[in-house]
Amino acid sequence: MTLHGVAVLGVGMTAFGSHKGRSHADLAREAGLAALADAGTGFREISEAFVGYIGAGPMTGVKAMKEFGLTGLPVTHVENASATGLATFREAAWAVASGRATVAMAIGFDKMTEMIRGAGGRGAGRDQIDSVILPAAYFALWAMRRMHERGTKPEHFARIAAKNWNHGASNPLSHRRPDHAITADEVLASPVVAEPITTMMACPISDGAACALLASADFARRLRPGRPLVSVRASVLQSETYTPGHTFLGPVVGPATMTRDTARQAYEEAGLGPEDMHLAFCHDAFANEELEYYELLDFCRDGEAERLVEEGATSLGGRIPFNPDGGLVARGHPGGPTGLAQLHELVLQLRGEAGARQVEGARAGLAHLVGGGSVCAVTILARE
Amino acid sequence: MREVARAPIEDGFFTVPADPGEPPRLLGSRCRACREVFFPRRVVCAKCLALGCDDLELGPHGRLWTWTWCHLPLFGSRRSDGGYGVGQVDLPEGPRVQAVLAGRRDELAIGMELVLDLETLAATDDGTELVIFRFKPRSGESE
Repeated sequence: MTLHGVAVLGVGMTAFGSHKGRSHADLAREAGLAALADAGTGFREISEAFVGYIGAGPMTGVKAMKEFGLTGLPVTHVENASATGLATFREAAWAVASGRATVAMAIGFDKMTEMIRGAGGRGAGRDQIDSVILPAAYFALWAMRRMHERGTKPEHFARIAAKNWNHGASNPLSHRRPDHAITADEVLASPVVAEPITTMMACPISDGAACALLASADFARRLRPGRPLVSVRASVLQSETYTPGHTFLGPVVGPATMTRDTARQAYEEAGLGPEDMHLAFCHDAFANEELEYYELLDFCRDGEAERLVEEGATSLGGRIPFNPDGGLVARGHPGGPTGLAQLHELVLQLRGEAGARQVEGARAGLAHLVGGGSVCAVTILARE
Repeated sequence: MREVARAPIEDGFFTVPADPGEPPRLLGSRCRACREVFFPRRVVCAKCLALGCDDLELGPHGRLWTWTWCHLPLFGSRRSDGGYGVGQVDLPEGPRVQAVLAGRRDELAIGMELVLDLETLAATDDGTELVIFRFKPRSGESE
């Protein structure tokens, strides 16, 4: 069975940022209604829903779905840390491909502002010994090793962060929308979180929700005749394979092979290669990650990522723009909705509706996320 | 003077020697089939999937593979003045272990020799110190 013939019917999202005083259900309703309006359909047409979040209790997803009305549809919770949104999308795509669902909803929401507040001193049992060290440290360990092996400079990471801040400036849904052009010097001058990562190289603490609706290509053509059709070419999820030096204790960055293996599976299933991608999204929770993913997603050979940065190849207007909506660094990373926000922007780009951020002639693109250092999700969409 | 009682913040990961001068050991496993060594303990081998591992104690020495200097407080601790090190340490038996590093920023370097040590995170109501393992530069072993 393949995903052949599955299309994105509609997308919607809230702005990412602080949504103090608003509930998860409230944010989910806004994103879901936006996706339904974009698709030109109503909730009664939704056959099945997959709901993703990290920071709320059991059944929060089913409760949030009641905001749209009670139609009896099956609702399944999906959680894969940062990769949650792309994992809900994969489930929805396969629900359509299998013939089980006519229209499937993938929806994610989270309020990182509330998660962070509750984090200090949290946990018992295994969580306790696992949660002493902060996430920034794990990605910093990767950056320091890269600098040791490849001679990478903090300026490379800073340039990537500045690029994503500046991409976010023209995205009205982005958490960070700087009022001036951010420079690498400014990024380097911000406070250090864990060497060499500074606060401006790290994603902000965001709230938000995002939603995608999937159906068959035939269904999508009937519903929106004349609109460019965006099809799902691959939606892949992998966990780690064992390699020597695997670190079991603590949420780790994970072996580099995980992103490479997942991307190559996605390229193979899509029948497309990195050379066919016009834009890409990655897990830039910390800017040094994006540099690694240039290589691991096969956009350049190992050891050439620094040159991509120096050439500006991954900026809007460059050879392969990365994170044109601002990425996790600027647009934000609430958790559950992050992957669906990537796909929201990718769909707009493929339809030619991305305004000032439009990648000219975008026909295919990729969205990548890792979750908890232990899973990787890659989705490839293309305009037919 | 009565000795201060020490207890791990969680059982099953490392030893807490009665003698405070003695370094702790990590509690690992070795697969009976393929001999791969793991930390922490396992029942099923992650490499060959064979059922059955033998317990063994790992360390106390290791080599620093990568490190960073953090400027945010540790969860469960108030320690943040001036920052602290975090690293990944390769044990001679094979596993790579993530841990907090003792020592000054300017003494940390990739490839250096480290030794296991215990850090006190908190104390219980009866005065027992809750400890977690960390690594420190081997030159500071006699401290």
